[in-house]
Amino acid sequence: MITFESLEENLKFLVLEVENQLTLTFRLLNDADPDLLEKVSAKDDYVDNLKAIIENECFSRLHGDAGKGSDDIRTIRASHAIAVNLERIADYCVNIARQTEYLIDFNHLHQSNFQEMFTLIQSSIEQVLPALKKQNLPQALRICRSEQQLDKLYKENFDWIMARLRTGHFVEDLITTLFIFRYLERIGDSLLNIGEALIFAATGERIKIEQFDALKEVLASPGLEETLTGAEFKSIWGSRSGCRIGRVDMAEGAPAAAQGLYKEGVRAKIRKEKENIELWEKIMPGLAPRILAYRENTDKATLLVEFFEGRTLDSIILGNDDRTLQAAMAALEKTLGEVWQRTRREQATPTDYMGQLKARLGTVRRVHPGFMRSWKAIDQLEIRSSEDLIDRCAAIEQAHPAPFGIQIHGDFNANNVIFNPDSGRINYIDFHRSRQADYIQDVSVFLVSNFRMPVFEPSLRQRLNDVIKRFFAFSADFARNHGDADFELRMALALARSFYTSTRFELNQDFARDMFTRAHYLMEKVLTHSEAASAFRLERQVLYY
Amino acid sequence: MAEYGSFEYESYQDLETIQKFLESLTQGFAKEQIFLSSGDDTIELQPKNLLKFSVSAKKKEDKTKLSIKISWKEGKIKAAKQPLEIGP
Repeated sequence: MITFESLEENLKFLVLEVENQLTLTFRLLNDADPDLLEKVSAKDDYVDNLKAIIENECFSRLHGDAGKGSDDIRTIRASHAIAVNLERIADYCVNIARQTEYLIDFNHLHQSNFQEMFTLIQSSIEQVLPALKKQNLPQALRICRSEQQLDKLYKENFDWIMARLRTGHFVEDLITTLFIFRYLERIGDSLLNIGEALIFAATGERIKIEQFDALKEVLASPGLEETLTGAEFKSIWGSRSGCRIGRVDMAEGAPAAAQGLYKEGVRAKIRKEKENIELWEKIMPGLAPRILAYRENTDKATLLVEFFEGRTLDSIILGNDDRTLQAAMAALEKTLGEVWQRTRREQATPTDYMGQLKARLGTVRRVHPGFMRSWKAIDQLEIRSSEDLIDRCAAIEQAHPAPFGIQIHGDFNANNVIFNPDSGRINYIDFHRSRQADYIQDVSVFLVSNFRMPVFEPSLRQRLNDVIKRFFAFSADFARNHGDADFELRMALALARSFYTSTRFELNQDFARDMFTRAHYLMEKVLTHSEAASAFRLERQVLYY
Repeated sequence: MAEYGSFEYESYQDLETIQKFLESLTQGFAKEQIFLSSGDDTIELQPKNLLKFSVSAKKKEDKTKLSIKISWKEGKIKAAKQPLEIGP
């Protein structure tokens, strides 16, 4: 456990200095006392130093101490952001003070309403340390909101100055006065940063005030009469898909939905997710989370869904409890078997694995510029380019649609499946790509989501390989039982797509190159296969690292 | 065609294809000329006379590696450098 005594102390000093700078600046504007200008300027270096000391302390703590908890790291990060912004506020005080040198007379300034802005800034600064110490969310939110109030006051004064400027008199003094208000408005921006850092310290969520307002609106839905102050906000995971996800624990006395998962993002995506959840509720009640609340505006939407107790499958696979893993896999296969059975529609279903691969090539190349093979030849033997392989495989793919379609999850990574060891239940999360398609899409994504885990410790790798082997056998059985003769050929194409596109998440060059090379091997095998598609055999070794 | 250059290729193959690659190289050795191309770049190798040939293998529990290396001197003699002269 590390102590925050000196960090806290130095932050306290910094707050005191900033308060002092604000008071001096206020008095300078009020009393027009030129001695005060010098005092404000003289403090600048000291404030700078204090910030540097705090920064050093933050970084050396992050770097030096072992055994820091996530709370400690949060406090350090927040303290750093607070110090940087406090110092900026002190700088703005110096900027304001220096403007007074250009004032011919203070009259116009005195007729404006700068006092109210100062009062608001000072009361916000007073709340910074208590909010950090007690991880007080309402106080943090008050600091955030002061920015909006400061903006409003700025606008009022701006309009007042503009009106006077139009008379054509006292232009210099009015412009200088406007500059002073502009700096006061900028102080509001720094206060907002401080407020957001305090929210982060209290919740572990890097969340913007507008997002918090959206959440509040969702929580205020009928049946969920819960105020934000009573809700504890916890972070579970970040999302690669650009949605914000967070977990909300309701306070005591909250309705039956004790916990919720909050998602906010682009409207079309969140709406799709909601519609798909509703569809899944019909397919297999209880597999998808219940929707607790949904709100949308012109471009964003917010969704609050039931939070599942349990563990994501990837964490079970990488854990060390073999019995739980076997139970999870058995439950997964049972669930999938039922879903596939219930949603199966006997009609040729085209696939688009090569199209999906092409659509992601840009991102792959941004991460790995060399991952696009050009045409090559080793004397008389020609080697096809990546592009040529993809195009030719696309033609083969078109000629071999899946014999039936099922409702796929659409993003069937191991971390989108949750298993609850106590109830033995499987749940899915993240539904925005769910649609009627080839079941092999889900299978291949699941297989490669295991393969691509950057885990090389032999016993863990063995667990991954075992899961891959078992799951492949399960889906091959399903194919056999349902007369899907081209299963292995389509699987090769789907795997090629997943191997190739997974490289965009992998910075380990050797591992990424291995997946890139496997993708090419699979496409070459499909192309050189000259017999009937049903005779194609997938080399199983390609599934294991 | 560039006079100097390099070529690289890495892949997964089955046994049958490996043999095709080796055959292609074997034929190149027979005609003392091997072309290696990548995109618009081609280098021509002319193996002849004295070739250095090494084979090494490593067999481990989970992985085996067989390396074949063939190298030769191009036989071009670099022009001797003019001695440095200091002018008046």
